[in-house]
Amino acid sequence: MSANGAPKFREDILEAISNAPGVSGGEEAIRNLLAEYARDKVDSLEVDPMGSLVARIDPTPARRKAGGRNGGRRGPHVMLCAHMDEVGIMVTAVEKEGRLRFRRVGGIDPRILPGQVFRVGAGGLRGVVGALPPHLTPRNERDRVTPADDLYLDIGARSREEAEERVPVGTYAVFDTTYEAWGTTRKGKAFDDRAGCAVLASLIQRRPPVPVTAVWSVQEEVGLRGATAAARRVQPDVAIVLEGTASGEAPGAPPDEQSPFMGKGPALTVHDRTLMVHARLLSRIEETAKRHKVPTQWKRPGVGGTDAGRIAISGAGVPSAVVSVVCRYIHAPAAYLDVRDAQRTVTLIWHTLETLRKEWP
Amino acid sequence: MVESAVRTSADWLRYITSLPGVPGQEDAVARELMKAFGTVADKVERDRMGSVYGWIHGVGKAPRPRALLAAHMDKIGFLVRAIEPGGYLRVTEVGGFDSRTLPGKEVMIHSRPPMVAVFATRPPHLQKKGEADRPIQLEDLYLDTGRGEGEVRRKVPVGTMVTLRQSPVQLLGDRLAAPGMDDRAGVVVLLRTLELLRSKRPSWDVVAVATVEEEFGVVCLGARTAAENLCPDLGIAIDVSHGDMPGARDGDTVPLGSGPALSIGGNIHPAILEALKASAKALSMPYRVEPCPTGSGTDAMDIQISSSGVPTAVVGIPCRYMHTGVETVEPRDVDRCAYLLAHYLSELSLEWRSVEVLK
Repeated sequence: MSANGAPKFREDILEAISNAPGVSGGEEAIRNLLAEYARDKVDSLEVDPMGSLVARIDPTPARRKAGGRNGGRRGPHVMLCAHMDEVGIMVTAVEKEGRLRFRRVGGIDPRILPGQVFRVGAGGLRGVVGALPPHLTPRNERDRVTPADDLYLDIGARSREEAEERVPVGTYAVFDTTYEAWGTTRKGKAFDDRAGCAVLASLIQRRPPVPVTAVWSVQEEVGLRGATAAARRVQPDVAIVLEGTASGEAPGAPPDEQSPFMGKGPALTVHDRTLMVHARLLSRIEETAKRHKVPTQWKRPGVGGTDAGRIAISGAGVPSAVVSVVCRYIHAPAAYLDVRDAQRTVTLIWHTLETLRKEWP
Repeated sequence: MVESAVRTSADWLRYITSLPGVPGQEDAVARELMKAFGTVADKVERDRMGSVYGWIHGVGKAPRPRALLAAHMDKIGFLVRAIEPGGYLRVTEVGGFDSRTLPGKEVMIHSRPPMVAVFATRPPHLQKKGEADRPIQLEDLYLDTGRGEGEVRRKVPVGTMVTLRQSPVQLLGDRLAAPGMDDRAGVVVLLRTLELLRSKRPSWDVVAVATVEEEFGVVCLGARTAAENLCPDLGIAIDVSHGDMPGARDGDTVPLGSGPALSIGGNIHPAILEALKASAKALSMPYRVEPCPTGSGTDAMDIQISSSGVPTAVVGIPCRYMHTGVETVEPRDVDRCAYLLAHYLSELSLEWRSVEVLK
C-alpha cells in the first residue's frame, strides 16, 4: 500500500509491541521498545510521573532553536496520543497447592478465560487457566458462566513456596499470543491499542509539519488515567487520539451493528461514551481523507470511550478527535486487523497535520 | 525425525501432540506414528481401519501368547459444518468439548493449505447487558479466518478437520500442557514401552496399537477391530486419568506426578491389576488405584468384550483439564507407565492365562 506522501507504516514496530507484555500499570516493556523507536527521531523524550512516554518533535530543528515553547511554531501544537496498556490479569494470591488466584485488569469477558494460556511476569513464565473436564462437570453447571473469581492459574508449581518464589503477588500476566500475518490480515494480542501506538511511532519517524507532542499513555483500560495527567502537562492546541477500535462484524448481526469493518479504512468517531468529537476538527479530517482518497468509515456511535474524552476537558479544553484502526476481537487473546488500515491511518493523520499547519482554527 | 534413543518422553509428547487427527481423520498422525514405531518395533503395520501396530517378538517358544497394548491416536476436534456469508465457519464437534472453554481460542483448519482461525468473541464494548452471564453454545460459536469469503469457500470444504491450535506449553516441574495429551500421552507410553522391551525381551509377543476413533463415542472402533484381528491373550489400555483439580471430588482424580493410575472395577481383570501392582512395588514406583465403578471409558471397554473375551487392565497417566486446549501431564508419569508395562510384560510367564479351568 502506497504511503501517498506520508511516512510508511512500520509493521515491525506493531509486531514487536504486540508481542511484548504491558497490562495497565505495567507498561515498562512497551515503553522501552517505543522509546527506542522514538529516541533518534524526536527533540525531547521523557517519562512522565505516571509512566506515559512523552516525545516532542518540531517541524524543523532550526525552528526549534529559534526559541519559544514550540520553537518558532507554525501551526497549532498537536498532541497525538495512543495508549500503551492492554487488558490482562494480575496475580492476587497464591494458594496452598501452588495455584494462583487472579483478578482481571480492564474489560475481559470472563467467558474467554477457561483453558486460556497466559505469559506471567517479565520472564514470560507460562500459566494455564484450569477448567474442569466435561466428564466431571455436572450438567447444570454447563449452563452457567464460571465467574472469573473462581478461576485460577496453574503454572505447574507443586507448593505455595515454589509458586511464590516465581510469581510474587502483584505480577501481571498477558494472553500468550504471537503476532502473525497472512494476506493483509494481521493477528496478534493487544491491537487495542498497540495499533495506535505503532501508527504514532510510524508518524514521528519523519519531522511533522506542525509541532507535535506524541504521548504513549498508560492506564487507559482502567479509566483513561494516563492521558488525563499527560494532557495537563502537554497543554496542546489540538489532540488526536489513535485507537484500535472494535469491529461489529458477525454472521447474522443486523447491518447497523456490523459497522465498522476491518479493511475499510480508518474509523472516525462522532461521539462515544466519553466525548463529543470537535466538529470542526472532524470535518477537517474528513475533508483531508477525501482529498487524499483515504477511505474512511464511522465508528459505531455511543459505545466505548478513549483518552480523548479526558484530553478534551483538560485545562481550558482541547479540540479533540479519535481516529481508529478497526480490529476484530479486541480484549480477546487474538485480534485481527488489516495492515492497509494502519497505513491509511498514518496517511490520513499526516495529511491532516499538513492542513492544520496551513490553517487552524 | 531423530533417533528415538535421544528422545525423552517430553520430546515425544511435544511432537506427537502436535500432529492433527480427529476421529476418522487419523491418516496424518498414523503416517508419522508408522515412522516413530519403526524406530522401536520389530515390525510395523496398519490395519484396514487405520490403526497402527508395532510388534515386539517374544523370546518364548512359538506359538506364543500375545499381549495387546492400546492407546488411541485420535484427539478431539471439530469438523466444518457450514460456511456463512462473510466467510465465517460453523463447526460441529467430534469428541466432547465444554463449549465454555472455546471462545477466543485459536484453531487450525486442516484445509490445503491449512488456515489459522479464531473462535470469535464479541468485545465487552459491544455486548448487550447480561450477555456475558450466559455461556456461548457451540452452535452459536463461529470461526473467523480473517480471509475473504471467496477464498474460504474455495479452500475449505464442509467436513474439513479443525483442531485447537496450541503449541505445547512448558510449565514448572517439567509439566507440559497441550491439546491432545488425551491420548497422545498414551501413544508415547507405547513408544517408550516398545523401546524398553527391545532390550529386555518378553517371552510373549507384544503388539502396541495406536488405535483410531476412540473419541467418536459409539464404540472404541480401533480397539475393537484390532482386538478382533489380533485375538490377544490379554489387553491393556493406556489412557489419561483425571488429574487433581479444584472442583473435582475426591476419588475422581489422581495427583499429577503420582505415577501410574491403575484402574479397578469390572473392566479390569484382578490378576493383571495385582501383577501390575507387584511390578510397581518391585520397581519402587509410586502408583494409585483409580476406582472405575461403571467402566473405564477407555479402549479396554471394547477390548474386553472382543472375540470370546479378553482379560484387560487400564494404566492411566494423570492429566489435568482433560478435553481442553491445556491438557496437562508430567512426563515423569509417562516414563513410569512405560517402565511399569515393560517390567510387567517381561516378567509375564509363558504359561499365564486368565481362563481358570476348575474341573
